[in-house]
Amino acid sequence: MSSDLLSIARSGAMAARIALDVTAQNIANAASDGYVRRSVRLAELASSGGFGRVGDVSLSGVRLDAVVRNVDAFRQTEVRRTGSDAARASAELAGLQNIETATEQTNLYPSVVAFEGSLERLTADPVSSSLRAAVLEDARTMVRTFNIASQSLASAGEGLRFEASDGTAQINLLAGELARVNLRLARASDATSDQSALLDSRDNLLQRLSGFADISTTFSADDTVQVRLGGSAGPQLVMGGTATSLAMTTAANGTIAFTVGAAPATLSGGALAGKAQALVAVADTQTGLDAIANTLIAAANAAQSGGVGLDGSAGQPLFSGSGASGITLALTTGAGIATAPSGAGANSRDPTNLTALRGALSNSDIAGKLDSLLFGISSKVAGRAVTNEALSTIAGSARIALQSQSGVDLDAEAVNLIRFQQAFQASGKAMQVAGTLFDTLLAIR
Amino acid sequence: MTTVSTSAFYERATQDMTALRARAEGLQAAMGRGERLARSSDDPVAASRLRGLARGDSFAAIDTTNANRAVSDLTLTDTALGSFAEYITRAKELAVQAANATLSPAQRAGIGSELAQLHGNLAALANVRDSAGHALFGGETAGQAYTIDAAGNPVYAGTANAGELPLGEGLSVTRGLTGPEFLNFNTGSGPTDIFAVVKGLADALQGGATDPAQAARDALGVLDTGLEAVTTAQTIIGTRLAWIDLTTQRRDEMTELRAEEQAEIGGTDMAATITRLQEALTVLEASQASFAKLSSLSLFDVLR
Repeated sequence: MSSDLLSIARSGAMAARIALDVTAQNIANAASDGYVRRSVRLAELASSGGFGRVGDVSLSGVRLDAVVRNVDAFRQTEVRRTGSDAARASAELAGLQNIETATEQTNLYPSVVAFEGSLERLTADPVSSSLRAAVLEDARTMVRTFNIASQSLASAGEGLRFEASDGTAQINLLAGELARVNLRLARASDATSDQSALLDSRDNLLQRLSGFADISTTFSADDTVQVRLGGSAGPQLVMGGTATSLAMTTAANGTIAFTVGAAPATLSGGALAGKAQALVAVADTQTGLDAIANTLIAAANAAQSGGVGLDGSAGQPLFSGSGASGITLALTTGAGIATAPSGAGANSRDPTNLTALRGALSNSDIAGKLDSLLFGISSKVAGRAVTNEALSTIAGSARIALQSQSGVDLDAEAVNLIRFQQAFQASGKAMQVAGTLFDTLLAIR
Repeated sequence: MTTVSTSAFYERATQDMTALRARAEGLQAAMGRGERLARSSDDPVAASRLRGLARGDSFAAIDTTNANRAVSDLTLTDTALGSFAEYITRAKELAVQAANATLSPAQRAGIGSELAQLHGNLAALANVRDSAGHALFGGETAGQAYTIDAAGNPVYAGTANAGELPLGEGLSVTRGLTGPEFLNFNTGSGPTDIFAVVKGLADALQGGATDPAQAARDALGVLDTGLEAVTTAQTIIGTRLAWIDLTTQRRDEMTELRAEEQAEIGGTDMAATITRLQEALTVLEASQASFAKLSSLSLFDVLR
């Protein structure tokens, strides 16, 4: 007989101690980000009898088989995927809201209406210098509002690009970190607490990475991860211990594109993709706004050239420059507004050309075009807000699903605490029994 | 066994309560503003409609200014036409007196000089100004409606038509009358104007005609035609004023309709909003209470 009650009890007490440690670790990390609940797996330590020693009892107690990380790879993938989508939607929505603010809160539409209105008021008395001055000032306000809207759009775009370039830096940082974790994982021995901590940090890094861009992951047997950007066919970001750097390029119209190494990366998820989409919307809006400004310039200047000003001289252009950012007021005095048809003398009250000017503005439908531009943006924002809400909810429930499976349940840990405390006490009792037995033997005389 | 991890419990509670709070705050903001929409994206279609309505409102305000201006110009025209009618009536009275064969040439000459005076008054009246200081009967001219030529006859110097004032929605009104529209008329012997008739009579009575009494009798009929032209013009002005009244009424109705629509699509339905806010608050309170209950439920408190 090769069993030893004392050492069996000792192994039991040690196993209970380890289990208590793991439980305490779980409780301590109940609120840690990315922490996955651990549990101990114990295994019996016994040897079977050999030849000729059948029926022999050989018990050696218990040993720690592994510290198990209770994680579900599928749920983790879901958290990454849905998190990517939600981050993309929220970044795009934020960018679109900036566009909406730039075009709408600058009161561009009311300023155009005010300009049209003051032209209509001028028909009542085309030679009135105060009404002419009012037209000129309303035109000035409108021109400046166009400028401001364009500037606001440009700065919204700049903000988005700044954030995107910061996101690119973050991705490179995380990818480098992930490569280092990969290296250490390749060396860590199986089922140790060291490996568990590395796996935690690996999963945590992957989750943070997925917030910036949609990633596709492949896990190898040694638990290292290979990361591709923008889907499973995308360029490789992390492979083993190497991280390829992500770079951002800006096109002339302010939109952005990404490359990993030399290969182009098409992102469809994550905050970076959202910002890229918002920047496309910024460029589109800018183009639309420029087109409206150019229509306005062309219509007003053409009508001006068909008439004469208050002093009977040929009408000069009302606006100069081009685009929403470049439009400026060219006329310096209200007397220059060509209300009378060409050929009319000085101080003519004939409003024919003013009517033509108003007609040109209403035919080119500046207000209507602006309205549809604003409507386009606001309906985009409204639609994306719904998408964003849905995607956040989905991402939230994926996170909850992962956490309820891999997170720490304090009640369960309390139960474990009691259980392993009792196990420890029981092993102690076994030691006491061994001691009593020994004493009994010693007491024989 | 389904485990409910502690962090999942807290995350779910946070999500639910944040959503409820956001809803309650949105409703509160809508009530505070009195408007349902904080920005266009809250309801793009309604926002676009509201933009159109606001545009209509701002144009309606300008149309009202234009209508008021037209009314004052037309009223001035009406008053001036009244004066014209009085002068012509006076000229008729004088013509009747002069037609009396018993009058001496000196008495006729006296009447003639009064008629000459009337002629001057008529010419001055034809050059009165409108509310903006422009010639009331000169159409769209920048200067005087009538200039006096070397022979002392007023000559029309204005444009052929009086200008039109837009009253909104494509409607417009002619803002006045040009002098020739009511001062020129046709007699049996061809076109003439009231100035020529009065001056001709004055000249005739002051020794220009061999039979001044007959000239006065002839002038009577012509003056009648002139008076008729003026009263016809008064009728036209009255019709135009009525037209402005009609468009003003229509504009007021449209403004009312717009305000109604604005309130309907842009305003906050207080009763519904308050009810929904109360609902959100009740649910929020309940979930806060249950959260407090559940979160205080720890096995660690029970284990001693």
